[in-house]
Amino acid sequence: MGTPVELGLRMRPGIVTAGRVPDQGDVASLVTAAREGDRGAFGRLYERYARMVHGILLGRVPVADVEDLVQDVFVRAMRQVHTLRDVNCFGGWLATVARNRANDYHRRSVELVEFTENAPNRAPEKPRSSGAGDDSAAILGMIRGLPEAYRETLIMRLVEGMTGPEIAERTGLTAGSVRVNLHRGMQMLREKLGTRA
Amino acid sequence: MSKESELLKNDYLWDGSGEPDAAVVKLERALGKFRHAGRTPELPEGLAKARESRKALQGAGLWFQFAAVAASALIVFSVWSGLGLPGEMTASGVGWGVEQVAGTPRVGTKSIGRPGEKGTLGIGQTLETDRVSRASITVSAVGQVDIDPETRLRLAESRTSRTRLELERGTIHAMIWAPPGEFLVDTPSALAVDLGCAYTLQVDDSGAGLLRTTMGWVGFRLNGRDAFIPAGAVGETRKGIGPGTPYFEDASPEFRAALRQFDFAKLSDGERSAQLTIVLANARKNDALTLWHLLSRASVADRGRVFDALNGSVPAPNGVTREGIVRGEHTMLDAWWNELGYDDIGVWRKWEKTEFYQR
Repeated sequence: MGTPVELGLRMRPGIVTAGRVPDQGDVASLVTAAREGDRGAFGRLYERYARMVHGILLGRVPVADVEDLVQDVFVRAMRQVHTLRDVNCFGGWLATVARNRANDYHRRSVELVEFTENAPNRAPEKPRSSGAGDDSAAILGMIRGLPEAYRETLIMRLVEGMTGPEIAERTGLTAGSVRVNLHRGMQMLREKLGTRA
Repeated sequence: MSKESELLKNDYLWDGSGEPDAAVVKLERALGKFRHAGRTPELPEGLAKARESRKALQGAGLWFQFAAVAASALIVFSVWSGLGLPGEMTASGVGWGVEQVAGTPRVGTKSIGRPGEKGTLGIGQTLETDRVSRASITVSAVGQVDIDPETRLRLAESRTSRTRLELERGTIHAMIWAPPGEFLVDTPSALAVDLGCAYTLQVDDSGAGLLRTTMGWVGFRLNGRDAFIPAGAVGETRKGIGPGTPYFEDASPEFRAALRQFDFAKLSDGERSAQLTIVLANARKNDALTLWHLLSRASVADRGRVFDALNGSVPAPNGVTREGIVRGEHTMLDAWWNELGYDDIGVWRKWEKTEFYQR
C-alpha cells in the first residue's frame, strides 16, 4: 500500500492538482511562525489551505463574495489562532472558522427569529446566485443542494482540484470518510443530473 | 500489493489514478471556472508590526532587549485580538469598549452614532440598540460579542476570571476565546456558560431564550437543570422552567414537537410519558445528544426505555449499566456523555466547583 504522498503524486496534470501532502510537523511550525508575525509562513499556510477554505465557502455563499471571504477567513484565523490549543488541528480548526464565517455572512442579513411556541426553524437562506448564468452554475447549484459532508468534499475535488488524500489531510477527516463522502456525493449528483436531463 | 491498495490506485474520483471517469472529467472541466484564484492577503498588521519590532531591536544591549521583548509581547497580546489598548477592560474593571456598527446604539445615556464611533460600557451600564442599530464589543482577553438590533444588554460583572452579561432581550453573537467557564450570559430563563465556542443567543419579550452553538459547546443552566449544546445544536429555555432538552434542528418535526411538549407543557405524568414515547420512536442515531439528556430528565419509570434507545445508537461504555442509569448515577452519565464524541464533560464538572455555580 502506498503512502498518501505516493498516492498524491499519481495525479493527472491539468485536471487534478497534485500537491505534496504536508507533514504535520511542517504545519505546526508554520502556524507557530505565522502567529509570531512571519509573513512567509503565513503565505505558505495560505497556499496550503486556501483551496479548502474556498471550497467550503463556495458551497455556502454567492460566488461573487467567495474570494473576499477567503481572505477574511485567513485574517480572522491569524488573529484568533492563539486560541487553538493544538496546532496540529489547524486544518480542522480553519475549516470550522470558514464554516462559521459563512454562517455569519448569512446571519447578518437575517431578522430576529421569533420563537414562541413554534419550532425555531433554521433561518431562511437567501437565494444564491453564482452569477455564471450557465450549465456550470446549474451544476454548482445542484452540488450545493447536497448534504454538507458530500457538498464540501465534492467541491474540493471537482472545483478546487484537490485529491482525496489532500482533502483528508487538510480537513482533518479520515481518508475513509472522505472517500465515502466523495463516492456517495457523486452518486447523488449523478442522480440529480440524470433527473435534470 | 493488497487488493484494497490496488483498488485505491484505480479510483479516478479518489485521486485521479486509473481510467478517467468521463462524467467526473466533464464535471471537472465545467466547474474549474469557479476554482480559487485569489492572492495571498496581507498578514494582519498587528502581527507583522510585532515581528518588525522584534527584528529592529535585535543586537541591542541586554536591558534593551529585555524591554523590547516585553514591549513586543504587549503589542502582540493587544493587537492580535483585533484591538488597540484604548477601550480595553482594565484591571480595575472600568469598562468595555463598544463600537458602533450601524445606526445609533446607546450606552447608558450616551448615543454613539458616527460610523466606527466608540463608547465604554461600564459595570452596571446597559447597551441598547433600536430597530436599525448594531454594535460590537471586543475584549482581547475574552472575545467578541456582536449585538443585533432591538437588543438590551447589561454588563453585570467583569473580573479577571469571570465576565457576566445580562441579556434582557434581543440577540447577541458571541465568539469567545477566554478559558471555558469564564464568560457567562444571564437571561431571564437560564444562564449560558461558554465552554470554548461561538454561539448566538436570543431572548424574546416573554423571557424565553434560544441558543444556537456554531463552534465548540455551551452549557445552559437554571436551578441545577443543565443542558449542553454542542456545535450545530440548539437549546431553548422558558422563564420559570429553565433549559429544555437540546436537539439538532434537522430532527423530524414530530420529534421536536414532542420534545417541546415534554420539556415545557403542563402535563400529567402519563401525558409526559406519552410525549417521550413519540420522541423515542422518532429518534435517529444523530439524536443521541437529546437522548443522553433525557436519561436524567425522564421519570425513573421511563429511564430504562431511554437507556435502551440510546444504547441502540451509542452503546453504553464499560461500567455503565441500565440499573445505574435508572438510579441517576452521575459518574455513569458522564462516562456515557464522553462516548458521544463531544467535548469532555470534565470541563463542566470543573466549572460546577466554582463559587458561581452555587447561585
